[in-house]
Amino acid sequence: MLSSMIDKAFIQLNVKATDWQDAIKVSAQPLLKAGKIAESYIEKMIDIALETGPYIVIAKNVALPHAPPDAGVYQTAMSITVLEHDVHFGNPDNDPVKYLFCLSATDSNSHLEALAELVDLLEDQNFFQLLNQARNRTEVLDYVINKTKNR
Amino acid sequence: MYKALVACRAGVGSSLMLKIKTQQVIKEESFPIELEHASLDAVSSFNGELLITLVDVANELKASGIKKDIIGITSITNKAEIKEKLAAYIEKNT
Repeated sequence: MLSSMIDKAFIQLNVKATDWQDAIKVSAQPLLKAGKIAESYIEKMIDIALETGPYIVIAKNVALPHAPPDAGVYQTAMSITVLEHDVHFGNPDNDPVKYLFCLSATDSNSHLEALAELVDLLEDQNFFQLLNQARNRTEVLDYVINKTKNR
Repeated sequence: MYKALVACRAGVGSSLMLKIKTQQVIKEESFPIELEHASLDAVSSFNGELLITLVDVANELKASGIKKDIIGITSITNKAEIKEKLAAYIEKNT
């Protein structure tokens, strides 16, 4: 379940980031604080983006920062970050990025269902409208819980 | 039946989501394609004919001289794009 990977503290609304590297760091902070990932995981996410280009920008305005399990993952989790001002990752098709879903996964299978739920969410325009207008984290988490309940 | 590998750098995030989406399209359109997913490390040992990745990774693979068909997808949530590119591949190979 996607909702079981997201703690309320992992949702960050209207946060500032100076550039794409900063945006990745910011999006990973709640997972670092909660002990889901090691510091090395954040460096790896940035390294991968530097090496292969901004492939983590997976859809219009959406980035999914992530790295392999062996880069420093303690537990499977995901954070949701909405930037106050969007940043450019250098992805000609999907820039600029305003929403970041930072993912940590311990293996490549156990969170398959959760990712299917995330794909559904990313196709849901109402979800993005909510992210833009939400007054608090609870609203966002409740939406995710309800949406995935009805799947 | 074609065998395709969906790959990304980590093998845990975007490739899985791309696989989920591509699988939906294949099912809806009844395309004769069988999907696997893995990280890029598995590309060299993959014995199928088609690689499906996000577009930047696709460009990198093409530049590395891999002799397989490569489809690069721009947006994971854009089913129309996935459908169009898979259809073009099948068309070209039949």
